[in-house]
Amino acid sequence: MKATFPQMGNIYIAAKALFEGLGIEYVIPPKCSKTDLDIGSLHSPEEICLPFKLMIGNYIHAIEKGADTIILAGSCGPCRFGEYCELQMNLLKSMGYNMNFIVIDYPKDIGMMELYRRIHKISSESKKNTIQKINALLNALKVLNLMDEIEETAHMYAGFERNKGECKNLLIECKKDTLECDNAYSMIKIMNQYNQKLNHLSVDINKNPLKIAIIGEIYTIIEPYSNFYIEEKLMDYGVSSSRKLTPSWWVKNAALSPLKINSLKIRKNAKKYIPIGIGGHAVECIGEAVTASKNGFDGAIQILPMGCMPEIVSKAVLPTISKDLDFPVMSLIVDDMDGEAGYITRMEAFIDLLERRRKNALSGC
Amino acid sequence: MHYLGVDVGSVSTDLVMMDENLNVTEKIYLRTKGNPIKAIQDGFKILKNKYHKGDIAAAGTTGSGRAIAASIIGADAAKNEITAHATAALETHKNVRTIIEIGGQDSKIILLNNGIISDFAMNTVCAAGTGSFLDRQAERLDINIEEFGEYALRATSSVRIAGRCAVFAESDMIHKQQLGYNQPEIIRGLCDALVRNYLNNIAKGKAIFPKVLFQGGVAANRGMKASFENALGFEIFVPEHYNMMGAIGAAIMAKFAVEKSGKTNFRGFELADKNIFSRSMECEGCSNSCEVVKIFENNNIIGYFGDRCGKWCNKLQHTSKDLLA
Repeated sequence: MKATFPQMGNIYIAAKALFEGLGIEYVIPPKCSKTDLDIGSLHSPEEICLPFKLMIGNYIHAIEKGADTIILAGSCGPCRFGEYCELQMNLLKSMGYNMNFIVIDYPKDIGMMELYRRIHKISSESKKNTIQKINALLNALKVLNLMDEIEETAHMYAGFERNKGECKNLLIECKKDTLECDNAYSMIKIMNQYNQKLNHLSVDINKNPLKIAIIGEIYTIIEPYSNFYIEEKLMDYGVSSSRKLTPSWWVKNAALSPLKINSLKIRKNAKKYIPIGIGGHAVECIGEAVTASKNGFDGAIQILPMGCMPEIVSKAVLPTISKDLDFPVMSLIVDDMDGEAGYITRMEAFIDLLERRRKNALSGC
Repeated sequence: MHYLGVDVGSVSTDLVMMDENLNVTEKIYLRTKGNPIKAIQDGFKILKNKYHKGDIAAAGTTGSGRAIAASIIGADAAKNEITAHATAALETHKNVRTIIEIGGQDSKIILLNNGIISDFAMNTVCAAGTGSFLDRQAERLDINIEEFGEYALRATSSVRIAGRCAVFAESDMIHKQQLGYNQPEIIRGLCDALVRNYLNNIAKGKAIFPKVLFQGGVAANRGMKASFENALGFEIFVPEHYNMMGAIGAAIMAKFAVEKSGKTNFRGFELADKNIFSRSMECEGCSNSCEVVKIFENNNIIGYFGDRCGKWCNKLQHTSKDLLA
C-alpha cells in the first residue's frame, strides 16, 4: 500500500509523522496549485465546491507518484461533503484509476465495528507492534497540536512584532524544517525550538493592532491556497488574526462529539442565532463570530466556497449578528476563479474600515 | 500647488488635478484598453504641457491597477477604491449615508455613519450589471452609450428581463426583441433588472438610508438612476464628477499622506516619454513558484510584484528609494 490524502493546511505534517511512525509508504501530494485546480475543474461536476476540485488535483498528482490508497475523512451530514468520497471514487474510476478509498467516518454514522475495520485496513499494513502503532498515533496528534499552536501564536503575535515580517518568516521556516525531518521525534523537537523562538520574539505589548477572526468553512479557511493566503496577508498588514477551526480542533471535536461536550462555548454563543446544526460548520461559524465580538476583536472575515449550503445560511445570519453586536463581518466567496486583485481590495477596504471605526470610537472619549 | 489622483480601473484610467482648496482643475478620462502603463503615460503627456514636477504637492493612486501605477509614478498613497470613493464622496457631500458605485467590472455599496464607513460590499462571483455589460448591449443595439439611458426614460412601460446573469440577460433581451417590444421598453427593462440584481445581491441584508450618492461610470446612465429611484422610493444624487470619484479620493488621500510624511515621492511628468515595460518570470526560490512581475523603466527595474515571501518586493524598496533620491 502506498497511501495518500488530500492537502488541507497543516494536515500533511501530521500525516507524515503518522506514516513515518507506522512505517507505511506514503505520498504527500504537492501543495495546492493552479494545476490542481485546472485538473479538478476539468473532471469535477461543474457546481461542486472548490475543495472537491482541489482534492481531485491532489489525487492525480499523488497517483502520478505511485499512490494507490486514498485516506479521507468522511461525513454523513446534510452538506455535500457527505458525497465527496462516493463521487471521488466514481470520478477516479471513470478516469481509469483504480484506487482504494479508506474513509474515516464518525462511529455514530457507520458503527464502531465498521470504523475499526477501516482503521484496521491501514494499521494492518504496518509491521510495527501495537505499542509502536499507538505511539505513532499519539506522536502524530502531538505534531498536529504543536503545529496549530505555533501557527496560532504566529498569527496573533504578527500585530505586536517589532521587526516586521519576523512571525511570518518563522512560520514559513518552521514548516519547511519540519517537513525535512524523517521521524516524529525530530519533528517535535524542531517545532519545540520554533515555539521557543516565537515566545521569545521581540514584541511591543503596548501596540494595539487590529484583531480579526477568520471564520467560515473549514477547508477554505485552513487551506491557504484556496483563500489567497489571507492569513499571511493579514500578517503583512500587521493585523493579528485568530482562527479557531484547525485540524487539531477537528480531532478534538470529533472525539468529544459523542458525549456532546465538544465546543461548548461555540454552541452556546451560536444558539440564539442558529439553534440547530445544519451540517458543515455553520454553527461554528456563527458561534465564532459571536465569541470574537465578545472577546474584543475588531471584526471577522468569513470565507466560504461558492455554493456551500451551511455557509450560505450563516452568511445570511451574519448581518443580524453584525447589527446586534455592532461587529463588522465581511464575507469572501472563493471559487475556481483567479481574481486575487479583487480579494486584496476587499481585504484592504475592510482593514481601513476597522481602523477608521477605531479612530472614531477613540476620538469620542 | 496641486494634488494628483490616478485611478487605474479595468475599463478606464482617470486622472484628476486638484488645487489647494480641493477643487478639480483637470479631468482626464482615458480607456485603459488592457494597457494601464500606456494609459498613465498618455495622461501624463497631456499634463506635461501644463504642469511641472514642482507643481505637484502629492500624488495618489487607486483602482485595481493601483500598485503598478504607484510604483511608476512614485505615489504617496495607494489605496483601495472603496476607501477612495468614500473619501471623495465625503468631501462634497458631508451627510451622505449610502454610496452606490458601479464601474466597469465592479459594483459596490458603501454604507457610512457619521462620515465613517460602517459597512461595504462588492460583487463577488459575478459582474452582471456593470459598465462593460451595458457597453456591450449599447453596441449590440447600435445605440451610442451616452444616449443609452435616455432611451429608458422614453419608455412607457417596462419589460421584465432576467438580469441575474449577464449572459442570460442578453439572451432574454434578444428574446423580447423578437417578440416585438420596442427598444426603449427593453432598455428600461434592462435597467430595472440590473437595479433589482444590485439590490438583491450586492446590497442584500443592508439597510439603505438617504442621502444616496450614485457614482462610477454607470451613473451617467439616467435610466439606471431612474430605476434606482423607482426601486428605493427616494431621490438619489449623482455628484458632479461622478466618474472621477476614485481619482479624487486618491488625490485627497495623497494630500493627507504628505501632510504626515512631509514630502512627496512624485517622480515627475517625464515618465510620459520613458520606455516602461514589464517582464514576468517564475521565481524558483521555493515550492511556491510565484509568478513575479518586474517593471522596467529604460532598463532600470523600478518595481516587483507577485512574490509571496517578499524576496523581490523587499528589493523594490531599496531600488525605488535609490531612484527617488
